[in-house]
Amino acid sequence: MTDTASSSGGIRPDALVRPADPASDLEKAALKGRPKVSLLGLGMLSPAAVLLLVFFFAPVVLTTIFSFTNMTSATGISGGAYVLSPNLLRELERSGVDSDTLAALGTESVVVDQESIAAARAAGVEEDFLEEIEDDLLGVDFDSKQDFERALKDLPSHLRRTRDLKLAADHFLVSALNTRFATRAEASDAISALAPDIAPGTRDRILDASYTGWVWTTENFRRLATQPETLRLVLNTFFYVAVTLAFNVLVGLFLAITVFYLPKGTGMVFSVLWLLPRITPVVLYAIMWKWFTWDGGFVASFADLVGLPSFNYMKGSVPTAWTIVILVNGCIGASFGMILFSGALRSIPMQQLWASEVDGASRWQQVRYIILPQMRWPILFVTCYQSMSLLSSYEQIWLTTNGGPGNTTMVWALESFRTALSNYTGNLQYGQGAAMALVLVIVGLVLSIIFLRMFRFGELVEKPKIEF
Amino acid sequence: MQIVLKDFTKSFDGLTVIDKLNLTINDGEMLALLGPSGCGKSTTLLAISGILRVNGGQILFGDKDVSNLPSQKRNVGVVFQNYALYPHMTAFENIAFPLQVRKTGAAEIEERVREMARLTHIEPYLDRRPGQLSGGQQQRVALARALVRRPDVLLLDEPLANLDAKLRLEMRSEIRRIQLETGITAILVTHDQVEAMSMADRIAIMDHGRIQQIAAPEDMYHRPSNTFVAGFLGNPPIVFLEGKAIGNGAFESASGMRMPLPERLTGLAADQPIVMGVRPEHFGVKGRHTVRGTVSFIEPQGRETHFDLTVAEGEVLRSIQAARTDISLGSEVEWPLDVDKALVFDSEGNRL
Amino acid sequence: MQTKNFASWPIVLVLTAISLPLAIMYASLVIDSFTNTPAGAVLPNEFTLEHWAFLVDPTITGNVWTVTFNTLIFAFTMVVVVLSVSATGGYAMSRLNLPYRRFFLAGILVMHAFPSVTLIIGVFLVLQFAGLYDTLIGVILVKAALTLPFGVWIMKGFYDAVPWEIEMAGLQDGADRFTVWRRLILPQVKPGLVALGVFAFIDGWGEFLLPRILAPTTEFQVLSVYLNNVSVPDSVDYDFNLFKSVGLFYTLPILILFIVFQNRLMNIFGGGTKG
Ligand SMILES: Nc1ncnc2c1ncn2[C@@H]1O[C@H](COP(=O)(O)OP(=O)(O)OP(=O)(O)O)[C@@H](O)[C@H]1O
Ligand SMILES: [Mg+2]
Repeated sequence: MTDTASSSGGIRPDALVRPADPASDLEKAALKGRPKVSLLGLGMLSPAAVLLLVFFFAPVVLTTIFSFTNMTSATGISGGAYVLSPNLLRELERSGVDSDTLAALGTESVVVDQESIAAARAAGVEEDFLEEIEDDLLGVDFDSKQDFERALKDLPSHLRRTRDLKLAADHFLVSALNTRFATRAEASDAISALAPDIAPGTRDRILDASYTGWVWTTENFRRLATQPETLRLVLNTFFYVAVTLAFNVLVGLFLAITVFYLPKGTGMVFSVLWLLPRITPVVLYAIMWKWFTWDGGFVASFADLVGLPSFNYMKGSVPTAWTIVILVNGCIGASFGMILFSGALRSIPMQQLWASEVDGASRWQQVRYIILPQMRWPILFVTCYQSMSLLSSYEQIWLTTNGGPGNTTMVWALESFRTALSNYTGNLQYGQGAAMALVLVIVGLVLSIIFLRMFRFGELVEKPKIEF
Repeated sequence: MQIVLKDFTKSFDGLTVIDKLNLTINDGEMLALLGPSGCGKSTTLLAISGILRVNGGQILFGDKDVSNLPSQKRNVGVVFQNYALYPHMTAFENIAFPLQVRKTGAAEIEERVREMARLTHIEPYLDRRPGQLSGGQQQRVALARALVRRPDVLLLDEPLANLDAKLRLEMRSEIRRIQLETGITAILVTHDQVEAMSMADRIAIMDHGRIQQIAAPEDMYHRPSNTFVAGFLGNPPIVFLEGKAIGNGAFESASGMRMPLPERLTGLAADQPIVMGVRPEHFGVKGRHTVRGTVSFIEPQGRETHFDLTVAEGEVLRSIQAARTDISLGSEVEWPLDVDKALVFDSEGNRL
Repeated sequence: MQTKNFASWPIVLVLTAISLPLAIMYASLVIDSFTNTPAGAVLPNEFTLEHWAFLVDPTITGNVWTVTFNTLIFAFTMVVVVLSVSATGGYAMSRLNLPYRRFFLAGILVMHAFPSVTLIIGVFLVLQFAGLYDTLIGVILVKAALTLPFGVWIMKGFYDAVPWEIEMAGLQDGADRFTVWRRLILPQVKPGLVALGVFAFIDGWGEFLLPRILAPTTEFQVLSVYLNNVSVPDSVDYDFNLFKSVGLFYTLPILILFIVFQNRLMNIFGGGTKG
């Protein structure tokens, strides 16, 4: 019963090569067997997708958008209104706007109509009095407040006390000053009514100046590009990142290698000790450093004891402040390096080390010629990863030196944070802070994409094996 | 249940791995899919089981086209090479899982799991987790789990590859026994020819996504349809001599060595390029033609001895004989060749 | 590694030297909270429990237990959100057919590597618009969301390590994808969930910036903010020993978790985002 599969018989070692059929057939076939989109998958992913969209994607977009605004806590983050404040008028006058126009805007006029009477009634002005006003004064023009008050006094049932009278008169006063106009058109109408022959250019200028909400501007970036402070910040940040990174990598490497050579128990003590900064809550960690370096703290007391200058090491001098900033961050980051390097060390075949010992290599030679060359990738990885997180980290600096003394240990991320969310004057400059943050966001994005390229992201992606 | 693959085609990312494969598995038979690594055996199996989607053609269970049905609707039992037992469940729970998913009542589950355990001889181990079972026991649990819901077809993907030699022998006959007892249609994927020959009713040999031949084991060994099949079956493997027919029922190899063609092929036209295939057991014992050569390799195997005989530059014949020690390396011998048993192929590799 | 060929004491000596500041800080954290040190001296001279009086006397620093309870709720809720969303998202990423899957994965990885603190201004604005500014729920959502790329990535790694065959076997056995995930796959990634959960808890427990900035005046104070408020060192009668006992009290749960789950955490810290 030999039943050769004759249709497909014969040796075709090229069966794996694309058949020469027209491409459309091939495409159709590929389409037919394409894995089904998993609805369950979409459902399972959606919570993560929504959260990431709202708290990663939207913030990036908002940071970008608001870096082009002059938003501060004074302007608020939603829209504003148009208000002609006396202050504003003074400012405009100083900046050269025609003072007659401004005076016109500042004038009050008296209007007696049903509307103002109703308003006065609602405010509790006596009914008799109002009726008389309605009978005698409705529609009459008054040149000034004084004229109107005089007219009121002439009414039979006028109020006895001058103060009450003035208060009642106020209800009939109309002024553009300190009125909130919700839209530009309303404000524009009001200005035109008060100063009918105002030049349109001047009117627009006044309108722009009277807006209390935020407006679009590139001022933030211009300021960043021109102010001398920027360069200082960049240099500080660069210094901070470079030195802390060096500390992290070197100490991490040193710890990993030494712990590797130590008996298990002893090694464990050190690795746990160095891991503590990473898990200690940052506030407590900062307090511990303060205690350690503050005046009256450990270092100060100890220095005193051995006759060295004793002062607040954290804030008392620039070099000690920098040292402490770097140590505070470095001690957290070192454990990251330590863990990764230890992992890499464990994957070095033991035979290599034993063989080198048999060959009489000293311990230093072993490290230099066998271990370090195999650490190239982990070191690169730690460097990339840490430089990114250091670039944007500010929590520890904020809680320790807070940029001090002066602004000597201020870094870009902290300055951006402080500008936008935590400054002393209370006027938080969201727009300016966002512009600074945007710079970091862009640098971070570029770095992380380079980083993915370098570590061959493509190889991490495996296609699902179940196609139904 | 009869399983039919009609023009089954599968490609990954536009690369066609299996192109228009046709295959019928008869009701109640055990068919072995045999082939070298990467030829598409697992792919075929996964397509039948509803894990992979077909790019073309159909898969029929009986008369029903299941090509577009997911696994859950196909009623297929699969035993994977690494057993794929659920590590957090006991053997009992593993076997009961398919029934639980189908909302079978507790009493019936209990009864059917016990029944399967009896069939597969794992009753004492039902309370253990996979980690506490030996390879063979795990294998049996996997088998029981695949069979407990009475599938239409049982698929076995290299079920014995992870076992040691002794267990493999034992499980070979066990699986066959269970298949025969249940009368289930089964497909066994393997790249071990001995396994295929000893367990299956029929063997389908695959290469590069194509079925080279389907036949009963004996048939296939003695009447391979092409050089690939001939070369794949048999250990030590067949030896091929390239050359041509020279008329008068004779063959001349590339090096000029001549020998008669088998009786049935004496009519081959002169100058037709052909390939002679000589199995080791047909050389060195008996035959009507003798071949001279130098013994270039000896491998004692206990019961038998394997020899390589260099007959000309680049042409070596292989011989398998009952154990003998009278031959030493380098000695010149003249051994009989049973030319009538030799296999002859045309230049395309198809058997004549 | 250990061979007898080298002596280890020189290494221990050097290691001890560079670890000394940390060792002193942590040792004194414990010691000082139980002792008094005379002004100007380096070593303490008497044992006392007075620095722990804040536990029972609310007049010292306010009621610490309410704050602890708040923190517990904060960290715990955040862990629940992170775990559930990472467990589902990671599975979808690892195993299910999704359109633009590569793109999603790249996005998650970029977000994982990307320093999320730079986003705080944007997050602040989002919360303002969503009306969640100054609410506990807002801070929890933000904290959980910022931890997500890490969580999803870690969980994806754990799912990737589960053999495909288990999943395939589950389908053959007649279970749907959800049942397979729920009953067969999820139990396999339990170590991952535990590790991620502990990690997220430690992270949430220590979080300071987000509650401080995004919910500055809420009633619902957490321990980090509380500790920061009681320990303004410029205040007239500052008392480091008190801060230390409060701090130690604050850190104790984390220390215990860390010690219990140390080995599982190592793995996670290696892929962690903290600088
Ligand atoms: N998911 C996949 N994506 C791309 N190519 C694949 C995939 N699965 C299998 N292949 C390719 O299809 C071909 C057949 O693979 P298959 O696993 O079926 O081989 P096999 O016969 O089972 O081999 P083995 O005996 O080694 O298990 C191989 O060339 C393989 O590289
Ligand atoms: Mg296979």
